[in-house]
Amino acid sequence: MDDLALERYFDDSIAKDSSSSAVEEQLGLQSSDKLQHAPQHGSQLSGGAEVAGRLGDDLDLSFLPDDLSHHNSSSAAEAATAQNAALDVLEDSGICLDNEPPDSAAGPLQQGPANLGPESRASPFCPMTPMTPMTPMTPVTEKSGIIPQLQNIVSTVNLGCPLDLKFIALQARNAEYNPKRFAAVIMRIREPRTTALIFSSGKMVCTGAKSEEQSRLAARKYARVVQKLGFPARFLDFKIQNMVASCDVCFPIRLEGLVLTHQQFSSYEPELFPGLIYRMVKPRIVLLIFVSGKVVLTGAKERAEIYEAFENIYPILKGFRKQ
Amino acid sequence: MSKAGLKCPNCGSSNIVNDDLYSQAQLVCVECGAVVSEGSLADDPLWGTDVSYSRTTAVKKNPCLNLIKGLERVKEICRILRLNAEIEHLAQTYFRTAYQHESFINVTLQRKEVLAGCCVCISCRQRNWPITLGTICCVLNAEETLLGGVYQEMLKILNIQAPFVSVVEVIETHVHEYKISKQDVPEDFAEDPKVLTKRAVELVELAGESWIVTGRRPLPLMMAATYLAWQSLNPNRHRLKFSLDKFCNMAKVRKRRAAATRITELKEVLCRLGKELPWVTEAVTESDVVPLVGDILKYRHSLLARALKTHEKALEANCAQTSTLNHPTDEVVPTQHSESRNENESTSSVVQLSPSNKGENQGDKNDDQSEEPVPNWGKKVLFAPPCVINAKRRRVERRVENCTGDEEISDGEIDSYIRSPQEARDFALMQKMLSLPNSENS
Repeated sequence: MDDLALERYFDDSIAKDSSSSAVEEQLGLQSSDKLQHAPQHGSQLSGGAEVAGRLGDDLDLSFLPDDLSHHNSSSAAEAATAQNAALDVLEDSGICLDNEPPDSAAGPLQQGPANLGPESRASPFCPMTPMTPMTPMTPVTEKSGIIPQLQNIVSTVNLGCPLDLKFIALQARNAEYNPKRFAAVIMRIREPRTTALIFSSGKMVCTGAKSEEQSRLAARKYARVVQKLGFPARFLDFKIQNMVASCDVCFPIRLEGLVLTHQQFSSYEPELFPGLIYRMVKPRIVLLIFVSGKVVLTGAKERAEIYEAFENIYPILKGFRKQ
Repeated sequence: MSKAGLKCPNCGSSNIVNDDLYSQAQLVCVECGAVVSEGSLADDPLWGTDVSYSRTTAVKKNPCLNLIKGLERVKEICRILRLNAEIEHLAQTYFRTAYQHESFINVTLQRKEVLAGCCVCISCRQRNWPITLGTICCVLNAEETLLGGVYQEMLKILNIQAPFVSVVEVIETHVHEYKISKQDVPEDFAEDPKVLTKRAVELVELAGESWIVTGRRPLPLMMAATYLAWQSLNPNRHRLKFSLDKFCNMAKVRKRRAAATRITELKEVLCRLGKELPWVTEAVTESDVVPLVGDILKYRHSLLARALKTHEKALEANCAQTSTLNHPTDEVVPTQHSESRNENESTSSVVQLSPSNKGENQGDKNDDQSEEPVPNWGKKVLFAPPCVINAKRRRVERRVENCTGDEEISDGEIDSYIRSPQEARDFALMQKMLSLPNSENS
């Protein structure tokens, strides 16, 4: 019974190979090679190989690790690494499948991949087809396809020693200090293009960077400048306080409709401000939505919050496009 | 007792001086030397100052005078705007609550007055009485930014929400402000407010569908709609030549600067629809669209449908000529053609066009990439918000890739930010020199 079932899979996987996704095409060469090789090995192995080819088509493989997407999107030139990666994935899937009750199509699978482990290193196997059928972990099909771009990051750091602001303003070229107006030195550096407010307590606020790493690098540069001026500056408690991002959904939005249906979250006063202020509860982000389709997201402490907030608002906005 | 109004009881002279040579200050008449009054010590009541019984046994604190005045102001504003008693009571309640809050108790009187206006505004909105913040601004004669700030703060403190007021609701009250009935202006220029309102409402609805209303202040838009409605109801030579300025003067309404832009935008929309009128042979320009406005508004639904069809055809023709990626776009467009045709009757069909254009957008994206960083989807749609059509070109900032945050920081770079000793000395000298003339001048 197993042999028949496996043969069926073998036929099916060949049929599926012709109507393939992009990834399948990349590894398609390998898949046809492997399919040829498969009959040479034991039936279990071939079953495993063919079954592996079918693996992606039927099963929900969302439990697989993120690495899968990277490896599957590699070009045909990186076939070797792709092979190994898919190998790892198959091993993983073998393990995981034991835990999760697979659906009917995967009955023989339990034997196949489990046995695939030690032998598969020598043998070729059918590659996965992750993109089309899976519920995506690295979303491409269901999600908006628009990625908000970070525009500003505000971070704070403690230099750990009291500072003489007058001295800093005198010795540093890029500093301005006007104690009557504001009680901090305003220092700027060119790369990354940022501004820092340095207080006499030793605390510093760094603004204007376009990514978390750039903000950290900029804060380190400011700390270095203060160090060079002779203060025992350290780099303690670096923390990102706020992130601002923006994006464009490329269709006009009926703000009046949005404020009527999402009254508890939105505030739209055209006399005061042309955009709608949407205060999302989870994640706690404030979005400014404009009629032109541009959206500004702010109030995030992490990049993921911004992406999540945008993915939450995009279907709502799309709903207002058709109306 | 001051010495200003005193008269000596002895001789009647009013020349009284304050003599404080001795321990007790005395008011003494200069002429005759009589002591007019002796000073507080002698006058002190024996058992303390007289305090009335009611004051000592008062249970609750008397309301602050400014609170009472504020409540009176709320009542006044309600009377000016002719609001009903329910709204008045609600406004007073809100004012009383908000007044006690720390952000409104120790502020300027002006801010308290603005708070009164905002309470009236929010009560109106909650009772579905159409009112704009602009009206309150006029009544109070306050600054718009101040009003906006107080309004937002009040909403936060009272933790209430205002239902959204659309322009269509407000326009009727707005039109009634205009003094252009038969009693006020010559026959030629007079209009019945009801007729004027009806047409203005239609114009505003059309503006709403073509993205002129969303995100904009309502007042200039209403002014533009009223003006065009007035012109088009009787498009004779006199009215057509009448400028917006003169119209506002005549109607005794303060002109809004933005109204002129709204008029242009509205006329553009009307032109696009006017082109579709079957009995119009010459090209419709903005200068001669006004006489056609009546017809356009009457048949606007079918005109919209026709305009959409024309636009789609024009885009298809454009697409076939210019784009190299013809195949995918042509596939996309016909499928959405049928969609839009089915929904032709709905007035919101203008928006349908944008999805069909998104397909082309992506097809043309590669072509446009070299010209502009982001393809302007607004130019490809029949109606789009004006801020999209006239998008400002922003300078594209290059994105720094692959920054880890832990890179090495070169000493040279840090040194470039620090002054050399000589430079520091010069700078200190210059600062001293700059501060010296300042101190000389002052």
